[in-house]
Amino acid sequence: MSFLDQTFALTATALRSMSGRRGAALVTVIGVTTVVGVLISLLALSNGARALGGSEASPDEAVVLGSGAASSQQSVLTRDEALAVRNAPGIKRAPDGTLYLSATTMVSVDAIRSNGKRGSVALVGFTPAIRLFAPGVKLIAGRMYRPGVHELIVSDPLRKMYRGLELGDHITLRGTEWTVVGIAAGNGTVNDSILRADADTVMSAFGRNTYQQVIVELTSPAAFDTFKSWALSNPALPVQVKTEAADFDDTFGQLHRLLDFVAYFIGGVMASGAICGALNSLYASVDARRRELATLRAIGFGGGPIIASVLIEGMLLALPGAFLGAAAAWLLFNGHVLSTEGLIFTLTVTPGLLVVSVSWALAMGLIGASLPALRAARVPVAVALRAT
Amino acid sequence: MKYLPLIWAGIWRKRSRAILMLLQIASAFVLFGVLQGLDTGVSQTIAKQHGDRLYVSSSVAMGDPLPIGLLARIQSVPGIEYVTPRADFDGSYQKLDQFVPVVAGDVDSFFKVYEELKTSPAAIRALRNDRSGAIVGILTMRKYGWRIGDHIVLTSGLPTSNGSHDWGFDIVGTYDTPDQPTSATALITNFTYLNESRLTGRDHADMFVTKIDSAADADRIGLAIDNAFANSSNETHTQSEAELAAAQLQQLGDLDFIVHGIIGAVFFAVLFATGALMMQSLRERVPELAVLKTVGFTDRRVMALILAESVTFCLVAAGIGLALSTLLLPLARQQIGFSRVPDIVFAEGAACAVVLAFVSGWIPASRGSRLQVVDALAGR
Repeated sequence: MSFLDQTFALTATALRSMSGRRGAALVTVIGVTTVVGVLISLLALSNGARALGGSEASPDEAVVLGSGAASSQQSVLTRDEALAVRNAPGIKRAPDGTLYLSATTMVSVDAIRSNGKRGSVALVGFTPAIRLFAPGVKLIAGRMYRPGVHELIVSDPLRKMYRGLELGDHITLRGTEWTVVGIAAGNGTVNDSILRADADTVMSAFGRNTYQQVIVELTSPAAFDTFKSWALSNPALPVQVKTEAADFDDTFGQLHRLLDFVAYFIGGVMASGAICGALNSLYASVDARRRELATLRAIGFGGGPIIASVLIEGMLLALPGAFLGAAAAWLLFNGHVLSTEGLIFTLTVTPGLLVVSVSWALAMGLIGASLPALRAARVPVAVALRAT
Repeated sequence: MKYLPLIWAGIWRKRSRAILMLLQIASAFVLFGVLQGLDTGVSQTIAKQHGDRLYVSSSVAMGDPLPIGLLARIQSVPGIEYVTPRADFDGSYQKLDQFVPVVAGDVDSFFKVYEELKTSPAAIRALRNDRSGAIVGILTMRKYGWRIGDHIVLTSGLPTSNGSHDWGFDIVGTYDTPDQPTSATALITNFTYLNESRLTGRDHADMFVTKIDSAADADRIGLAIDNAFANSSNETHTQSEAELAAAQLQQLGDLDFIVHGIIGAVFFAVLFATGALMMQSLRERVPELAVLKTVGFTDRRVMALILAESVTFCLVAAGIGLALSTLLLPLARQQIGFSRVPDIVFAEGAACAVVLAFVSGWIPASRGSRLQVVDALAGR
């Protein structure tokens, strides 16, 4: 018999006698399921953080921040600086001559969560040209805010998470009454975490005279270098220029890298525990089949196929856990909305995570089967057959 | 006690299996120690906050600017001992990611309000006389090798009145926080310096911080302050430091939920593994147990023996796991501000281990106690 035939025959025998070791097999399945379930749930959280920056930042958008600011939250741009950016080369123009340039301002406002706790929400004001930018705001109810009037629109996830943000509701901020005039569809990005309004209306209501940042759409991604060097060569303009992708990475990258680390750390510790469990249950399986294995060796089966069959058995035991764990994470948490530091995350279980879960499960099965496989191949024929 | 050698021998009956099982349970307790330690530690940090310190911030949101003119009105509220305006910004030293938090306050009241920041009267005097002076936390001093007398420049997103983003400070003293050794990192400067040098937001503070005469009056005084500004364009929201910390924790999100979910899943898996292993071990030991009964062990004693074995085993494993977690948690010190697994977590861990042992050992133990000697010895 060839190596493959032998391996196949041995694996089939092992699987047929599995029902006699149901308990041990179940332990491996449950162990792998919980590891994969926890790992995938945590990675879904990290996916949510990554999605805050949009799945793909558009390559022709750039962000202008005040100098010295480590992230856009700390950035301050004066009106003069924001105005000066309008003269920069490479900014796209609409057919009517309007520049694809919007200055934004941000104030934090407190709101009451639906569970009664106080939480913080960002109210972001945009200057009117923001309507030119793709993908834009998709309203699912109501209409856009109008400049000069205290009107704002709220994202659907925010509306659900906080009280008093329904269409037509009034919010009093600094003695001014704002009206919710529209609800924007959620899309998993940072836009889900904000209230939107007109920039100058927000600034006058809150007594601010500075913007936070300016976003521009360039004529092409290649125009970025011209745009950036123009801004940096102007000594009167102390600003930083970043591509949208770089800005997202500076703002959210640390968070999602931290969450990734936490996920893999916890997953790693749990996996090492589950591997110990798998080792035990496969050792037991091999020990229970000592005489059988010795007999097979005696009638001519080689060590290689025996090792291969035990490894396959380990991986087959681990595989259901990959699907069960991923399915559990998906059922329990996919689309679940969490809020932290004023940001709303949507836990997202992506198909990519199924690949992660299968590869982790196979790895756990393989490592858990490795030592038992060696023991199986080394069963001393004479001793094992003589033993009672 | 005299059964200890017997229990010990039972545990190590199959050495490699016992070691693997020990490692599996220990891995669960590593996570228990780290996660539960994090969760409990954060709550304990909140409980330690000062109840006699009130933060007066804008009702719009924490950090939304309030006019400095509110100071006098707040000071006149009965029960308030000291009050300082406070404004914060993030500075960076040389590189954008080398943060130095800058806190500006009124030098005479700031260190009275924050009495846990230990500095010298000479440093306070020096800060009073040097407008751009700064008292810096010893951790930051050490990190960048600064000395008293140095002039340092931080860059910040906050523009100065001449349009630059560079902020210069003369270091006139240092402070330490003996109660919380990891938190002496800020640079404390004069509110007047920050206020007069910044381009925007002049004559506004991020908040006012007050020390009141008694923590018991916190609610009454907080209400009196908020009432004083009710229906004005600067409505305030006054919170004690403990409330504030709890609210910040709330901002961290559902930490409890995530921690307990993970610990639950981990123990669920370990429970199954331990239980299955105990059953397997029991099956192999039927003849031994029958011998014990033959020599006079009662059913109850056999049961106790098996449970004792399970409890000892789980406690040893929990001890190893928790010991490892005390080595791991300090790695996260920068993020969480404390570096020890709180003592209560060890007690909780031991309790968990005992519960785990009883639940997983119960079926094998009751089976073992019901063994009929004749059947067991006959291999039936």
